[in-house]
Amino acid sequence: MSKLNETDIQGFVLRGYNMPVARYLFLQLKDASSARTLVRRLLHEITTGQHWDGGKPQSTLNIAFTHRGLTALELPDATLLSFPVEFQQGMKKRAAILGDIGLNSPEHWDEVWRTESVHAWLGVNALSTEALETRCSAIAALLDETGRATIVGAQDAASAIVNGKQTTGEHFGFTDGFGNPDYLGFARSSQPGQGKLMPDGTWAPLATGELLLGYADEAGELPVAPVPHILAANGTFMVYRKLHQNLATFRAFLDENAPRYGGGKEKLAAKFIGRWRDGTPLELSPDSPDQSIVKDPQRNTNFTYSADSDGTRCPVGAHIRRVHPRDAFGFNGRLIDRRRITRRGLPYGRFAPESEQVSDAEERGVIFMALNASISRQFEFVQQQWIEYGNDARQGNDKDMLLGNHGGQGKYVIQGDRSPANPPFVCAHLPNFVELRGGDYFFLPSITALGMIAMDLVDPR
Amino acid sequence: MPNQNGNVYGLTILSPIINDEKATPSHDLQIRKYLATLPTGEDSPFAKTPGTHLARLVVMDDVIYVGMPACEEHLKSKYLIFESNLDGGPNGDLDSYLGGLAQNIPEHLDAIWSHCVGYPGAANSQAFINYMKSCQLETTFFFAAVNDKSLPETLRALQTQRAVTNFIAAHQGMEPRQLQADFVRFASELKAAPVPPAGSMSPRREIKTGGRNE
Repeated sequence: MSKLNETDIQGFVLRGYNMPVARYLFLQLKDASSARTLVRRLLHEITTGQHWDGGKPQSTLNIAFTHRGLTALELPDATLLSFPVEFQQGMKKRAAILGDIGLNSPEHWDEVWRTESVHAWLGVNALSTEALETRCSAIAALLDETGRATIVGAQDAASAIVNGKQTTGEHFGFTDGFGNPDYLGFARSSQPGQGKLMPDGTWAPLATGELLLGYADEAGELPVAPVPHILAANGTFMVYRKLHQNLATFRAFLDENAPRYGGGKEKLAAKFIGRWRDGTPLELSPDSPDQSIVKDPQRNTNFTYSADSDGTRCPVGAHIRRVHPRDAFGFNGRLIDRRRITRRGLPYGRFAPESEQVSDAEERGVIFMALNASISRQFEFVQQQWIEYGNDARQGNDKDMLLGNHGGQGKYVIQGDRSPANPPFVCAHLPNFVELRGGDYFFLPSITALGMIAMDLVDPR
Repeated sequence: MPNQNGNVYGLTILSPIINDEKATPSHDLQIRKYLATLPTGEDSPFAKTPGTHLARLVVMDDVIYVGMPACEEHLKSKYLIFESNLDGGPNGDLDSYLGGLAQNIPEHLDAIWSHCVGYPGAANSQAFINYMKSCQLETTFFFAAVNDKSLPETLRALQTQRAVTNFIAAHQGMEPRQLQADFVRFASELKAAPVPPAGSMSPRREIKTGGRNE
């Protein structure tokens, strides 16, 4: 497999920009002709996957469309109807499949998602707030000038800053952002634990077609994609979910349960997710956090679960073990290679130090964006089977401790051993620590495909 | 041995559906309609008759030709397929199970099987048993999810698992003397509790009629 054509792939697909601030703009397009003009004007501004020889730019811009957006752009019917069903339906109609019911049901979503008014997503990442404002002002001016697209929503997101330094922390205090898979043909250096597990215990990149349309996937097949091929190739699908975090509920739950747990509060928090809050994997260091592991790319994602089938180090239902089970289901991990997703996204809302009183009502959470070649086979499977159900993890009906839609009914079992510092523990009457506030499914086209859309050249025949 | 895995019996029945051009809607569609409205969980007809671990009813129209290189074949009739994993005991006592169906849910059986060729009705239990057995195929391989436990044993195990989990959640870290006293009371209450009704221990699922087996 040769190197990919990085200049034809949106940069957002190939790499996490690792910039501290972002704004996601949601557009509603009016008529097709002016929308095409807008795409054409934006075309040369879209950040591609090309290497930044001169260092990072001040800001980046990427674009994606909902199926409604592509319909507004008047792509041919034969093209529109060739998209996978789940993308045509959009996330709201998939609520039952995703378990987005009860507290997570669309009636509780932000209005922009409840009314399904979003046609396009513009993602702006920037090195500073000033650079972000400058870029967004330029985009707003362009929209005013072309006149026919309205910004119906805007979402700011930003990394946590600790002692003046950008971090990958999230509001519950965990270090996030490990664990994106490697793919064949990507220039990014590979890291053990990030791709697929090989029979000899080494890790290899996943097939390109697990992320990008137009390439062979792990089954040796081309992913289901719209016609014509050139519209699909080098593109991908994006899942956007605004996940509100009930920080007060989380802190109170931890404080209430910690005194009854022999391992102490920090270990209890670590058992929820499978990593200590500083990011140390429990599997590698079950007794204490260890920054030397966190900082070592050869070790911080390099572990398996087969020697811990009882879950006494990392609980079998812990978050990272559910969503990336590695070899936990046997067969050298082969059962999970077609269920991997690439995560982008950032926290939103103000970070509150532990000492500060907080309320669940405060606007705070994480913007979850997942990229995958097949939303139904990858993201939706993980959400339905591994987040909202527990059978594969041998946890019966139990859901993911932190992300599950528990509605006060959930439970979470922490396996333990005879050591007083590592006892078994059951968390019961779980509330929703995280609630869905909306989102949708997007198509992130290649640069070529954007040009074809802009110039009205898409022809499925 | 076919049909039998320990104490669990795998039953497969194929009943030909009446082919009557004058019937509108056709008999197979009438069965489909009835099956689509069957209740689930505790209200399922199979929860109201003893000994069913899981059951499935399928209307099979024909074998689907999937294109070259397969050869095109057709069934002589449309069939109603009935599959059930049931408590047969060590001797594979099918008559008792079928008799139990006839006794407990005759109105469902008649509503479904009256569209099948030669169905005698459930009122005459022995005739019903004979009819079903004449439609039976050997089951050579079936889903064994229950570790050779009977339905009441399985329901009891799920009840115990749930109760013990709740007990642990409520008593973690409790002072030993109090814990022991509570546990003794808990254990005797659990022992005295009735076996939960069939279909009550799993999450609610609606009937699926599309034929996707997932």
